[in-house]
Amino acid sequence: MSSEVVVETRNLSKVYRDFWGRQKVRALKALDLEIHKGEIFGLLGPNGSGKTTTIKLLLGLLFPTSGRALVFGREATDVSKNERLGYLPEESYLYRFLNAEETLDFYGRLFDMPAAVRRKRAAELIDLVGLNWAKRRQLKEYSKGMARRIGLAQALINDPELILLDEPTSGLDPIGTREMKDLILKLKAQGKTVLMSSHLLADVQDVCDRIAILHQGELKELGRVDTLLKVRDETQIRARGLSEAAQAEIRSVIERHHGSVLAMDNPTTTLEELFLTIVRDSEARPGRRAKQDS
Amino acid sequence: MVHETDPVLFSDWIWPSLAYFLQIAVVLGLLALVVGFLVAAFRYGPIAGGDVVYRMVRTGLGDLVSISPRRVMALAWLAVQESLRRRVLVGFAVFLLILLFAGWFLDTKSTSPVTLYLSFVLTATTWLVLLMALFLSALSLPADIKNKTIYTIVTKPVRPGEIVLGRIFGFAAIGTLMLVVMGLFSYVFVARVLNHSHEVEVASLKSVPNDSSGSRTGRTSLSQNHRHQLTIDADGNGSTDIAQGHYHNITARTVGDKVTYEMGPPEDLFTARVPAYASALRFKDRSGQGSERGISVGNEWKYRSYIDGGTLAAAVFTFSDITPERFPEGLPIEMTIRVFRSYKGEIEKGILGSLILRNPKTGRTSQLENFQAKDFYIDSRFIDRKLTDQTGKPIDLYDDLVSDGQLEIELQCLDGEQYFGVAKPDIYLRAREASFTMNFIKSYIAIWVQMLLVTGFGVMFSTFLSGPVAMMATLATIVMGFFKQFVLDVAHGAVLGGGPIESSIRIFKQQNLTVQLEPGLTTDVVKVSDRGFMWVMERITSLLPDFRQFDNVDYVAHGFDIPPEVVLVQVFTAIGYVAAVFAVGYFFLRTREVAR
Amino acid sequence: MSPRQRFIRKIVYACVIAALLLPLSWLSQPETTETKGGVLAQMRSEHQLSQAQLGEIDPASETIKLATLGMRGVAANILWTKANEYKKTEDWVGYSASLEQIAKLQPNVVSVWIFLGWNLTHNVSVEFDDYHDRYYWVIKGINYRQDGTKYNRDSPRLLSDIGWTIAQKIGRADEHLQFRRLFREDDDFNGSRPLAQRDNWLVGREWLLMAEQAAARGVAVRGERPVLFYSHPVMCLVNYAEDLEEEGTFGEVAKNAWKKAADAWTELSNRDLPTLSNVAVRLGDKEPFDEKSRVAQAELAKLTPPGLREKIEQEKLATLTDVEREARETPDDRRSKEHKDAIYATVEKMQIPHLEIADRITGENHAAALRAAEEATYADLMSKLIDIERDIVYYNYWLLRCQIEPNDDTLEARKLIYEGDQAFNAAQLVKSRDLYVQGLSRWRQVLDAHPALLNDSSMTDPLMDSIKRYRSVLHQLDERFPQPFVLQDVIDADARFHGPSLPTSESSGGESPGENADAPSP
Repeated sequence: MSSEVVVETRNLSKVYRDFWGRQKVRALKALDLEIHKGEIFGLLGPNGSGKTTTIKLLLGLLFPTSGRALVFGREATDVSKNERLGYLPEESYLYRFLNAEETLDFYGRLFDMPAAVRRKRAAELIDLVGLNWAKRRQLKEYSKGMARRIGLAQALINDPELILLDEPTSGLDPIGTREMKDLILKLKAQGKTVLMSSHLLADVQDVCDRIAILHQGELKELGRVDTLLKVRDETQIRARGLSEAAQAEIRSVIERHHGSVLAMDNPTTTLEELFLTIVRDSEARPGRRAKQDS
Repeated sequence: MVHETDPVLFSDWIWPSLAYFLQIAVVLGLLALVVGFLVAAFRYGPIAGGDVVYRMVRTGLGDLVSISPRRVMALAWLAVQESLRRRVLVGFAVFLLILLFAGWFLDTKSTSPVTLYLSFVLTATTWLVLLMALFLSALSLPADIKNKTIYTIVTKPVRPGEIVLGRIFGFAAIGTLMLVVMGLFSYVFVARVLNHSHEVEVASLKSVPNDSSGSRTGRTSLSQNHRHQLTIDADGNGSTDIAQGHYHNITARTVGDKVTYEMGPPEDLFTARVPAYASALRFKDRSGQGSERGISVGNEWKYRSYIDGGTLAAAVFTFSDITPERFPEGLPIEMTIRVFRSYKGEIEKGILGSLILRNPKTGRTSQLENFQAKDFYIDSRFIDRKLTDQTGKPIDLYDDLVSDGQLEIELQCLDGEQYFGVAKPDIYLRAREASFTMNFIKSYIAIWVQMLLVTGFGVMFSTFLSGPVAMMATLATIVMGFFKQFVLDVAHGAVLGGGPIESSIRIFKQQNLTVQLEPGLTTDVVKVSDRGFMWVMERITSLLPDFRQFDNVDYVAHGFDIPPEVVLVQVFTAIGYVAAVFAVGYFFLRTREVAR
Repeated sequence: MSPRQRFIRKIVYACVIAALLLPLSWLSQPETTETKGGVLAQMRSEHQLSQAQLGEIDPASETIKLATLGMRGVAANILWTKANEYKKTEDWVGYSASLEQIAKLQPNVVSVWIFLGWNLTHNVSVEFDDYHDRYYWVIKGINYRQDGTKYNRDSPRLLSDIGWTIAQKIGRADEHLQFRRLFREDDDFNGSRPLAQRDNWLVGREWLLMAEQAAARGVAVRGERPVLFYSHPVMCLVNYAEDLEEEGTFGEVAKNAWKKAADAWTELSNRDLPTLSNVAVRLGDKEPFDEKSRVAQAELAKLTPPGLREKIEQEKLATLTDVEREARETPDDRRSKEHKDAIYATVEKMQIPHLEIADRITGENHAAALRAAEEATYADLMSKLIDIERDIVYYNYWLLRCQIEPNDDTLEARKLIYEGDQAFNAAQLVKSRDLYVQGLSRWRQVLDAHPALLNDSSMTDPLMDSIKRYRSVLHQLDERFPQPFVLQDVIDADARFHGPSLPTSESSGGESPGENADAPSP
């Protein structure tokens, strides 16, 4: 992972106001983030925590109330940053009256790509997302999973350096989810930077290098997934084919070392626990900020 | 045909208009900067605000330069796809229905069905296309924003200007396609409906008294609610008189001892005269002294001015650019002269008038050419090149009467106490005949221009208003555009009944326009607020396009060629407006948070 | 919302819909042979809307109405404004096209058809200089209103208006000679109607009679006094006869035309005519009422004791003021302004109603006197009412004309004058003079038999024209106007109506008014 910063937010805040200018929601409060080239960064948080707002601010779809959002070192509102960027919206907001090929060709043209390049790119991507069998069908006939895939394909049409994925696995079946995760890892392998948001812990845990946990517009935790999950005074033991006797023996070994056995059955999803702790903690003591990880 | 104002010359029009356009652009641009700065300063403080405005302007100029034709075309293509999706074909269906049932709505017994049918198809096309442009353009962008499909567009390197331009081009393309098809249908429809023939009513044939050549007169059968009087020679060939603006040729065919008459198709039905109008018209009063206008016979409409008969009063038309190259044989004159009788006189005889040709330099004149005035008809006469002067000496039109291409034609009414009314376009030289088809196409260009304007305004409004509101705003623009002169008159106080509030009160109280409102505080308040309203109304309306200006229907319907100058002015006006709405649309889309 | 609630709601909706349908069906039940139908059907037939029957619906009109999406008022307003603009700028093609559209938009407003049709026949037509064009627009206006009858069956007003226009616009315009000729030649308007019946007066009368029939079916005649409404078809016959003679048709044809006109007057005399006083009268009943009144008054006089009338008169005289008494005693031409102001009240005060006399008769005669007085009062009132109606249609004059015109003397007199005019126009002066002399002396006979003819300028005006032409002929022949002149009483009568234009019997005679008098008056 290089130290080159691709995405940076400084004190980024967003307040939604109503028609009369009255404050309605503080969607994001003074967010400071840095995303480095080549990493997979996850934004985690329950619905309404500010994940999507952050992504929209980074895309220039929303204007910050205060603070700055920089992408490739440029203001997020600068259109030219879009040349090197791909975006998969939360739901696939695509033109339902176009078919897959037309869709990709259209978005390709928005990148000012020559026809030959577009054709080649579109074919590759359709292949990549496995929609070859349905490429002549209008998108309105697509299932949700298929729509996600074509959405991803359009996000990759320009071979972007930075890819923003808003809830990439939503609406996908387990196999689809697995494929999506594999794809994300593949993108990372190609040296691309990925920013994804999710409220599904399992997604983030599997693929992200670093995550930020947002709740009520505030950053609660930020760090490497492995570091965040490491509980220093706990050891997890997993084994197969141990007899009762062997288990008893292990227990005695632990006790001999003045440890105590907490559980020895299937391990829990510890990220979920961390997450719940943060949410509980945040609701109990609002305003506590995350420490920057080292 | 009536021209209440002199036709505009493109070369006279373009520079002042361009200057005016730039002036407005600068004023509005500065105004936008100031307002933009105030808003930004209020939000972010003066320095940051200034920065925002500066960056706005800088990137704006940058965006303008980096507009990519491919992206614009892609977006236009998308707009076309979307329109097809939204079933513009419904518009065609409506149009075809209207044509199919046109007979229901049209006065088939009209004196001039050509005028009526052409006005009808052109007007119907205009309204349908404008309506469609309104629906397509105003609803598209808001729908994209509502469906969030716009997210995938604006996260590509697409400039807001390209979105605006792409939409305008796309919908204009659809509109163009519709116009082409509608134009073809209309053309075929009018040509087919008006094509007809008659039969010679053999029983009506009578030989002409005091005529030894054997020619006969009679009448035709009734067809399409009219019939003609006809004259045929001894062989049975001839033609009919002009009725409903056309005539037919008749040929006789003898089979055995039976003579059958064949009547040709309507001739001169569709025309596109190219008139050479007089460059000036002045009058002489009863004593022969020059005067600005003739006299009024009490018409509300001041278009025509009258000259009294049996006196020295005359209307003098000055023609320029009369050359043997343009009119080698002589002058084909056409005139429409209104007759006003102050007593009934001889009912069965028209009022006598005379034409004199005069050399404006030497004052040499031709012999009087007398005629009976045909009220409300275009009277075509031909003035031969070989003429005689008042002493009966032969003279030549170009050698003796024209100097520096200038010629005066003087019209007089010969019957005492009777009057002739004329306006400048009432006597003209029929310089040549243009192609009717081309003329028809030119009238469609004017519709196309209107469609483009509506599309532009629709897209512009949709960059910052929600769909239905944008539609209402565009509709208001169209309505204001069609009644621009009226609204301006109201704003200037030239229309009786006061401003909007005052007239609402009048409507509510059912009060006559001329009745003064009761003096008092309420009335003062009403008048003052009306003045404010009218000021705003005037500013706004004067910025909107005058849709009447794009109305070429009258030319085509009355059989006159649309001057290319008029078309040029219309196209350039439209370009100016499209440029303006593009700038405004860009600005609004640029400053808009599309994800809200 | 639970499925149960949703279900209940659906049931409620269904019930509401059903409940709304009931009054709807009550309103819109169609008319059948047995029942009158629902409220709408009844209203339709009450207002004579053609659309009462489904087959008579005009798709064009309905489409236009539908296309305005309930904004019919606004659309009509715009069209009217547009029509006015077209009229102002003399765009007649556009004007008549908008009128068609207006009519389709408001097809059941009779006054729209009448107003706009009138505009075409009377206002647009005169804008044109050529009488052919004028005729075209007159017919167009008539056709326009005829279209209106398709939407408004049985509208006496519309039918009557059409008839009146065909009759009067064509027959009374300045161009009536030309119009009547064109009307006869108009195959397109008349269709298969035989030539002899192609007279605007007769065709107009057909429509007027249709209006009468519509009125007879119980449709109220609005906007016109019944006596006028019923007199139009009669006057058509009179005018027909007059125009026959004006255009040179005499003999049996003219005689029969006049007789028919006379019959029509008699028929009208016997028709019950509603008046403004809510009493129906017959024009022919005046004389019987006068007779009744005379008999009753004689009866009353017989029952009145001598001196009673004079006594009442004295009493009334006593109530007068000094001024009134003075006014009464001063002869008419010497009354001061004060007197003139007072005289009406005086006359009023001095009237002795029959009933007042009867009231003062005491004893056994009282009842009989009262009865006679009542009878006389009633008869007087009716006579007066009839007089009012008679005056409106010029009953007395026309009846007299219809009686004398079919006479051989009158016919001959008119024929001679007509031939004299023809000869005059053909510049055959001697022939013309002789015919005039014969004609005028024939007129002498007619006037001697019916001196009442001189009471009316409609009678004397054409005679005066003939006299003036006769004078002109004499003048051109260098002959003197004969003194005494055979129709001097006509000249005198004319002077009473219009002021002297020719020497009257009171002036010294001779050629004094000079050359001007020779010119036919315009």
